[in-house]
Amino acid sequence: MRWGKVRAVMVFELLSTVKSKSWLILTFGMPVFLLLYGIVVAIPGLVVASRARRTATHGVVDDARVLGSDELTPPAAELPPELRSALERTGRGGLFERSLSRAGVVKLRRFESREAATQALTRGEIASVLRLPPDYLATGVVERFSLDKPGVGGSDVRRVLAGALAERLIRGRLPPDLAVRVRTPIASTRDFVVTGSGAVRPSGALSRIARLLVPLLFAMLLLFSVLMTGGALVQATGIEKENKVAEVLLSSAAADEILMGKLLGAGTAGLLQITVWFSFAGASGSALAAQLASLGVAVPWGAIAVAFLFFPAAYLFFGSLMLGTGALGGNAKEANQLGMLWALLVVTPFPFVEALLSEPGGTLARVLTWLPFAAPITVVLRTAADPGAIAWWEIAGSFLVLVASTWLAVTLAARLFRVGLLLSGARPSLRALLRQARLG
Amino acid sequence: MPQAVAFEGVEKRFGDVVALRGVSFDVQQGEVFGLLGPNGAGKTTLMRILMDILRADSGGVTLLGAPHRRQTLDRVGYLPEERGLYTKQPVLEVMTYFGSLKGLSRAEARRRGRVWLERIGLAETAAWRVERLSKGMSQKVQIAAALLHDPELCVLDEPSSGLDPVNVRLVDELIRERRAAGRTTILSTHQMSQVESLCDRVALIHHGRLMVYGGVNEVRERYSRPEVRVRAAGALPAVPGVEEVRPDGEAAWRLLLAERSRAADVLAALVSAGVRVEGFERVLTPMEDVFVRVVQEAGS
Repeated sequence: MRWGKVRAVMVFELLSTVKSKSWLILTFGMPVFLLLYGIVVAIPGLVVASRARRTATHGVVDDARVLGSDELTPPAAELPPELRSALERTGRGGLFERSLSRAGVVKLRRFESREAATQALTRGEIASVLRLPPDYLATGVVERFSLDKPGVGGSDVRRVLAGALAERLIRGRLPPDLAVRVRTPIASTRDFVVTGSGAVRPSGALSRIARLLVPLLFAMLLLFSVLMTGGALVQATGIEKENKVAEVLLSSAAADEILMGKLLGAGTAGLLQITVWFSFAGASGSALAAQLASLGVAVPWGAIAVAFLFFPAAYLFFGSLMLGTGALGGNAKEANQLGMLWALLVVTPFPFVEALLSEPGGTLARVLTWLPFAAPITVVLRTAADPGAIAWWEIAGSFLVLVASTWLAVTLAARLFRVGLLLSGARPSLRALLRQARLG
Repeated sequence: MPQAVAFEGVEKRFGDVVALRGVSFDVQQGEVFGLLGPNGAGKTTLMRILMDILRADSGGVTLLGAPHRRQTLDRVGYLPEERGLYTKQPVLEVMTYFGSLKGLSRAEARRRGRVWLERIGLAETAAWRVERLSKGMSQKVQIAAALLHDPELCVLDEPSSGLDPVNVRLVDELIRERRAAGRTTILSTHQMSQVESLCDRVALIHHGRLMVYGGVNEVRERYSRPEVRVRAAGALPAVPGVEEVRPDGEAAWRLLLAERSRAADVLAALVSAGVRVEGFERVLTPMEDVFVRVVQEAGS
């Protein structure tokens, strides 16, 4: 392969893609659209939140005589220790308190009788009335009185009243340490995972999420790239056929050089697009990973490294097959339909995600590792789920198989591509295609 | 003169259809070579084999003095019959791309693109999208793109089809300039007048077989009757060696010579008989007649 030719095709593909209106609109319009969409979606939430931030006073009528006579103050909200320490490590210890100060406040006001309370309700002095009937201790039923207006809510005041009731009910009846546990039976969860090799290591919930997200993000990115970039390429090749430039191209560069140049050019444009999106979001992959690491989350660096290794080869593998078969289409539409058949293979491991995560060292996982069309997602998934469940030689071997398959795919696709580019009119039979491809 | 191209027993089949049957001929450096033949004769297949777009089933091709290699194609320009440009791209950008595919740097290809657009009278279209060009304009851009890298050999398939007479003249001029600069051109055309005025030698292919090959005048002579055209005042007397005399316009005659008689002897006899000869020339069969005769004879 002559890389000078590949570069010439790549530069043309890249420039013509990034200068096209559709690319510019999608690249720069998408973040703006998402921003506008976010604002539109957030408006109702913001309105509700601003209402919730107002101090709401509710009346309490204690006919059960369980609340005593002291002030009814709601219990302070608490943050799980794991998250509190993570925030303190990043110097954001005050974040929780600051956000609490912005949250809404619920006040409870005592009334001697239901009548007095409901009169205050009709005057608009309070938002609702909660009555503890005399048989409350036996039934646990609380009566709630509110104005006849549509609306939802009431969970905040129920939580505040429940806290106040629990506090009064256990006061003096239980030893202090037991009282603390009754108030908060589960203060926090400390997670551990047992690897396939039997080792036990701590694992927080965030780490678990991160380990699941990395392979899923990789899979989505791969699928997205293949579908979008490959689709655009296949369509461009269809247009190329319609424009009748195939012979000039093939007289200047070999089919595999054109194919590789197109793949690299479109791939670079796709990568550029994703980078622009990440830049707009202000959260590129590395920044996000650094943030997670600073929060004490075990970022699956191994899986990320494997993803970076497998991604380009996987893109070239699927892209070349799509381009090769897409070139056989008589026009842009037909080319797209033919090319998209390969995209279905990208998602092969998806139905097995649960099995792969629960048994990353199982037979299914081992088999899928060696199949080139399933290997990229499978290997990343296995490495993320449990690095101990996949041997280094499996990763290396799988990568070599993928590279060899990519080379084969590019070679085969180049022949189909050449035959396809020269075709006009009716599509040839499979036999005729194979003969042409064999002759080269 | 060294060879620019040599075909040696080239054969090509497409399934049951035989496209080329052992075609052998060569094209010399610096000449304008006419590749002729009716539609479906195998010319395009031969050109595609030369450009490495198709591979021959058997036989060989020597290109610019060396066995056929991909690298050598950077020194060759090609204007195919099935041609077009990227309709959504600017004209200069397409020319730059085609130049860079032939090994020029993008900057150099761009510079030459501007020079060529100026040369073909389309400088103002550099930034236009190709779809804005007329068919003739587009064709001129394609010819310019094929010649942009100043190729040692250029294969032009019907370069003048669809062009007006002014632009046909421009294309002829470009081909003559190439010959003057020692560059080789293979010209495939159905315009036999263009063949007569431009080509040094020709090859005529029919049903995948080489039917005629040689210098243009040599071929015309080969297919011509022994006939001379004489311009002279007054009537012509009967002279030895002439079988038939026919008037051919005012004060002109066509003389069909007898077998084994020589034109020089007939001229000498006319002068001896007192005829004031103002013009005397060999009548050669037009290439168009040669073409038709070869094709019809092969058909029968």
